[in-house]
Amino acid sequence: MTAASPRKSRWTNGLFVGPYLLVYLALLLYPLLAGVWLSLHKADLFGGEAFVGIENFSRLLRDTVFLQAVRNTFLFVLLTVPPLAVIALGLAIALNRPTRAAAVFRGVFFSSSVLSVTIVTLIWRLVLIPDGGLIANLLHAVGQPPLPLLSHPNLVLPAIALTTVWWCLGLPMMLYLAALQQVPAELYEAAALDRAGPWKTLTRITLPSIRRTIVLVVIIQCVLQFQLFGQAQLLTQGGPNGASRPIVLFIYEVGFRRWDIGYAAAASEILFGLILVATILQYVTTRDKAASR
Amino acid sequence: MSALDRAAGRNRWIDRLGWAALTLAAVVMVLPLLWTVGLSLKANGELLRDTASVFRMPYTLENYGSILARPAVFRWLANSLVVSLCTTAGVLVLSSLAGYGFARLEFPGRKWLFALVLFGLAVPEQSVIITRHQLFSALHLHNTYPGLVLPGLAAPFGVFLMTQYFKAIPAELDEAAMLDGASRRQVFWKVLLPLTLPAQATLGIFTFLSSWNDYWWPLISATRSEMFTLTVGVASSQINFAQTSGLGFLMAQAVFASAPILVVYVFFQKYIVRAVSGAAVR
Amino acid sequence: MACVRLDHLSKSFGSAAVLDNIRLDIAPGEFIAFLGPSGCGKSTLLRMIAGLETVETGQIHIGERRVDPLPPGDRGVAMVFQHYALYPHMTIFENMAFGLRNAKVPKAEIEARVAEAARILEIERLLQSKPGQLSGGQRQRVAIGRAIVKKPDLFLFDEPLSNLDAALRMRTRLELAQLRRRVQATMILVTHDQVEAMTLADRIVVMSERRIQQVGTPMEIYARPANRFVATFVGSPPMSFLDVTLDAGAGGLARATLPGGASFNTDVPLAVLPTSPTWRLGLRAEGVKVVAPGSGLINAQVEFVERLGDRTLVYLRLADGSAITAEDAGTSRAAMGDRVGLTLDGAVHLFDAEDRAHYGPAPAEGQP
Repeated sequence: MTAASPRKSRWTNGLFVGPYLLVYLALLLYPLLAGVWLSLHKADLFGGEAFVGIENFSRLLRDTVFLQAVRNTFLFVLLTVPPLAVIALGLAIALNRPTRAAAVFRGVFFSSSVLSVTIVTLIWRLVLIPDGGLIANLLHAVGQPPLPLLSHPNLVLPAIALTTVWWCLGLPMMLYLAALQQVPAELYEAAALDRAGPWKTLTRITLPSIRRTIVLVVIIQCVLQFQLFGQAQLLTQGGPNGASRPIVLFIYEVGFRRWDIGYAAAASEILFGLILVATILQYVTTRDKAASR
Repeated sequence: MSALDRAAGRNRWIDRLGWAALTLAAVVMVLPLLWTVGLSLKANGELLRDTASVFRMPYTLENYGSILARPAVFRWLANSLVVSLCTTAGVLVLSSLAGYGFARLEFPGRKWLFALVLFGLAVPEQSVIITRHQLFSALHLHNTYPGLVLPGLAAPFGVFLMTQYFKAIPAELDEAAMLDGASRRQVFWKVLLPLTLPAQATLGIFTFLSSWNDYWWPLISATRSEMFTLTVGVASSQINFAQTSGLGFLMAQAVFASAPILVVYVFFQKYIVRAVSGAAVR
Repeated sequence: MACVRLDHLSKSFGSAAVLDNIRLDIAPGEFIAFLGPSGCGKSTLLRMIAGLETVETGQIHIGERRVDPLPPGDRGVAMVFQHYALYPHMTIFENMAFGLRNAKVPKAEIEARVAEAARILEIERLLQSKPGQLSGGQRQRVAIGRAIVKKPDLFLFDEPLSNLDAALRMRTRLELAQLRRRVQATMILVTHDQVEAMTLADRIVVMSERRIQQVGTPMEIYARPANRFVATFVGSPPMSFLDVTLDAGAGGLARATLPGGASFNTDVPLAVLPTSPTWRLGLRAEGVKVVAPGSGLINAQVEFVERLGDRTLVYLRLADGSAITAEDAGTSRAAMGDRVGLTLDGAVHLFDAEDRAHYGPAPAEGQP
């Protein structure tokens, strides 16, 4: 028996990480690499597989349905991320206090985040539909005709964006709150001694102190909203005429409805590339944070 | 002194305005939920004529009665429970072991493997779903519980969180325990693991929530109605919106399906908040 | 009771050597302090004795047993950690009992031993608390208690006082000294604080740059530091150094000539000194006294005055630019900018070009 120093490198120590690594390699890494391989093939569900090189990718770039999906996805990100980042920030600043009322409000604003996408869309369908929906009823009360929120090409993405903002507001708010708690109280005391008003305190103390979190929130939300699927699939099935079809829905339809899996794999590699860029940005931001501490 | 008073007065006004805005925002937030609950309490026939009847008596529980008459919903509920609990237990065990290994032990390739796991954080589910689906087809895992549980175990977040947590425990504690004659196993079980309980709770709730709410994978993997999770089941009745048995019933289903998770939320709010903010500080 | 023998120990982390050929014998019941600046390897040495670091070359014996292949729990040592390392989720009682349980000590005896230690350390009322509820001083006592209950042959203390505030540190120092008298065991203390080492230890091991620089009783270390590092590190304020030239003075003793031309006789026979291109004279502040200008050996200008109440430290500069520190009475009139005279007396330390110290015949009590 020798001194069992954990510093000593032994391969048996690796047994602790073994079970997870096995699952990780089989269910994440292998599918990822197999997906790259698959994206270079013309393949269908019945095992037919032929190498086609980058044919799938060049086909994607000519596919108007796919290009529309890419455009929709970017538009959707533009429609959701800024409101999420700004509204959540406002809420966090207003609710960053130790009172009971603030705690109740925080609970309310976060509550929608724990619901599943199917429940959220179920609720919002009955808010959005022109035929007896909540918004239609409210418009009716002020003498306005109902809006075709789920069937007009120009309204459908904003409607889904509204649903999404309602659903996703909780997470960025909590991230901001966590950051605000880290701002040293001395900074506010010093600002008060310097007779800084509420606006000055906000713009000169609060916002600069949580600058990195703001960037982080924007990036995290970009990554999340790029993956829009359930809301569009359940509320509109991508319609009308593909006006609300995002990339992930495209992948789903091509891969699991038309079973053109090589083509779907190629589309998912493009999505992966987009998200990887955002993740690298996030990594760089958080690493700077650690370095500057 | 008067300047201070004026400033205090101005602050009071800003405060009042702020609370008014907050209350308004909260109303907007809650309104869809109240609307849903209201609709679920109305007779379907009445809603078909005019949904504004929500604001008038009479109310009824008949829609909830109809849910009880449909055993499929309970089957979905049970499936969701089984899948979420198994996933949570699995993630906790795998992440604790791997976190301890990465944070405390030295073995060949440790840094390299940890970097590989970190890389997994950047992989979105969509980019592996097609080949994972193929893999599970080949293994005949679709429409089974293992088929629904296994993908959740591959997510690297838990390993990352537990590794960070184990690293934050001072190594002096392990050393003190070793000097107290504890074996490696005893150090892990009696000293380190009890100290990670807050992280276990956080990770557990987080995993349970995301597994319960997962839509993508069960939608693709569970194609037979009796293997649906609650999330997919509710979606299936929603897609058949046109032929459905009525708005009120649909809304009662929404309320029924969200009840378990809202109960979890109310009871474990502290840990959920910690889970999300913990993800931020990483 | 144990005598500890460290036999040619070396250690490196990767390519960086941290300990180089350490040899040391510790007598049973002795209180040893490892003293040195951070990074000198003293903590690593302690952790090697504890079994928390592996031994690369060399051997460690405790008593008759060779312990370096044994796991920490089998070495019969107890350690008090710098940050106490109390198990946060256990009560104080469980903290102290944990090691005994692992050693399969009978329950009744565990309770008796913990109760006894708690009584000695006056922490009986805390036994059911958790470490988080305790003050820093109380945690320190529990950490010591956890070591005592094991009745070890050897106590190891890793900078145990560094996390306490000044008043508490002084009190705990006294308590450690008392503990030492009550518990008959060998003790090793790692510290960078020379006062701790001087007041607690029977012998001090001064370490620097991976090596033992000197081993000796506190007064040997202070009065006859073996080299310039020890002379500088031990003693407050640090020793002053002046470049001197040596020649033969009266009675075969070396005569030192200061840069300004003033010279005086040392108590070191010139015959014992090796040849060296340069010499430095080391002076403790208490050996340098302030007198009226012109009436001392040399003149100097006061740069700074530090009043400590019972005495006054006067920092001065000589005409050639070298700095020197003198000690004056608490009522000293010296003020910044004053010109004063200095007399030199007391112990003289001569350092050769390799910074080794040389002394005359040792006083009667014995060789270091």
